[in-house]
Amino acid sequence: MSAEICVKVDHVSKSFRRGSESIEVLSGLSLQVPRGEYLGLMGPSGSGKTTLLNLIAGLDQPTAGSVWVGDTEISHLSESQLAAWRTRNLGFVFQFYHLLPVLTAYANVELPLLLLPLSAAQRKQQVLTALDIVGLSDRLHHRPGQLSGGQCQRVGIARAIVTDPAIIVADEPTGDLDAKSAEEILNLLCELRTQLKKTIVMVTHDPRAASRADRLLHLEKGKLVEQVEN
Amino acid sequence: MKFLRLIYQNLWRNKLRSLLTSAGTMVLVFVVTLVWSILGFLANATTEKPANIKAIVSERWRIPSMMPYAYAASLKEGAATEPEHVKPTDNMTWTFYGGSLDPKKRTFENIVFAFCLEPKKLLTMMDGLDELPPDSSERKSLEVAVAKLEKNRQGILLGQQRAETLKKKVGDRFIIHSFNYKEIDLEVEVLGILPTRRYDQSAAMNIDYLLGAIDSYKQKHNGKAHDMAAKTMNLVWLRVPDTKSFTQVAAQIEASPQYAMPAVKVQTASAGISTFLEAYADLLWGMRWLLAPAILVTLAIVIANAISISVRERQTEFAVLKVLGFRPGQIMVLVLGEALLIGIVSGIVSAGGSWFVVNQLAGGIPFPIAFFPKFMIPADAWWWGLAVGGGTAFLGSFIPSWTACRVKVSEVFARVG
Repeated sequence: MSAEICVKVDHVSKSFRRGSESIEVLSGLSLQVPRGEYLGLMGPSGSGKTTLLNLIAGLDQPTAGSVWVGDTEISHLSESQLAAWRTRNLGFVFQFYHLLPVLTAYANVELPLLLLPLSAAQRKQQVLTALDIVGLSDRLHHRPGQLSGGQCQRVGIARAIVTDPAIIVADEPTGDLDAKSAEEILNLLCELRTQLKKTIVMVTHDPRAASRADRLLHLEKGKLVEQVEN
Repeated sequence: MKFLRLIYQNLWRNKLRSLLTSAGTMVLVFVVTLVWSILGFLANATTEKPANIKAIVSERWRIPSMMPYAYAASLKEGAATEPEHVKPTDNMTWTFYGGSLDPKKRTFENIVFAFCLEPKKLLTMMDGLDELPPDSSERKSLEVAVAKLEKNRQGILLGQQRAETLKKKVGDRFIIHSFNYKEIDLEVEVLGILPTRRYDQSAAMNIDYLLGAIDSYKQKHNGKAHDMAAKTMNLVWLRVPDTKSFTQVAAQIEASPQYAMPAVKVQTASAGISTFLEAYADLLWGMRWLLAPAILVTLAIVIANAISISVRERQTEFAVLKVLGFRPGQIMVLVLGEALLIGIVSGIVSAGGSWFVVNQLAGGIPFPIAFFPKFMIPADAWWWGLAVGGGTAFLGSFIPSWTACRVKVSEVFARVG
């Protein structure tokens, strides 16, 4: 596998069962994401873009085909192996932030680091760095309920990058934000890509978000139908 | 340890639920502690001891046992007639005398139940009193009271609570109208208070006073003996050094022809208590096999209910943790940890609190059974609290935690989206 390619999806199909009926969501889909690329995935509801994102994030297994991230074929890893792999290699940004309400911004960002063999001092250093990158050094001890939507999403991004993963997966990261906050989050994602050389795969319905991507893929009925280079 | 803070903070997510679960756990652990304290005490009392054994001589065929006092002298010697026979190291006779201060209206507030005995035996043979440290104030005041009782055979020593119930104090005199020795009404003077809580509701009198009153009855009734004259000794206790001595003394007494009418039997105090407790067998069986297990199951259900609700509310959160890299086992540990933390802490607080309140403040569990009016909570209760709280929390939260760790991320976010 080429070192330039960060994500390789090879003839992947994914179907779900609903009762006795089998519903095919992805059908023989292939794509490659070069390291450092900002890839946007668009498509109507039910087109399979979130399913594709879940496969790249190792949250689901394909029915057929293979998914490679870096040198690892994640489509054949066990659930525990995938969990360990995600901790070190993948950051996930959610549409609705999904911060733990009982934890402060600091503790939320620290969560993935609890799974790594780091000392308390090392964890603190990494958390402070991540929160500094997203511009929330002055909100360390605020709980999610005390932060705005944009600030919560920044905490979510800090949590995604705190383990220094190679790839960041974002599922409609601006979908729950006002225009100004959305713009700030998109700027932040672009900075992560340009300054930290992160590979970003983002599902979005937002044309502004899509316009920031290096490349835009349109899915319909589980197949890639269009590719746009920005 | 890294997860401990997370576990603790999750418990405070819903303070009311956590506090109610904790309160429920504490109440149920408290009840289990009381039940196990009583059962444990009785189990200990009925366990045969290898040394310093108390043997009980009683009537063989009748309950309650009523033997002639004429048996006393030879029984105290273990019926030893030959040089090779074994003699007990100490002995004590028991005669139960009950009555009320008001012959017309007998109530709990005016009855007296007294052990009639040789006063000095209070110091050497009475359970609980024979183990008082020689230098303790309780022992010294008991020695003073016993000395008075030997000099003044009309005296009586009252248990603390009985004295309070009767509203009597040292120096007061009153008449006891007997209900088991008809027409043998005894005027007594309070000489002292029995020291330990075990005898709070009892009283002790000099046996000579009762025997003298029965002799007087015969003189007053033209030589006609009192109906109970030949039934004035209920039990004899003999102290023997070991099991072998007990077996020999028992054989000597049971082989002796002088105890034919009525026949007697010899058993260890433990066996005697076991026999006595047979009357309570159903109650004790119910406590051991129905009440205690029912409480444990209820406790597990209380915790399972609370943790299940919490898990159901936090499906998305567990999915997020999985996305962040938490393995199923780690999520299970988080949920089990919440239940164990609340169960163990509540259990220890409850059992420890029970130990302190019952033993130090309340003076025991008022649960009169056999000869035991009250029970103390053993120090082991601290461990019971830990084990019961932790064990039931583990059992109750296992299935909810399994559910939490099996959360399927893609399905959860499909619902959220």
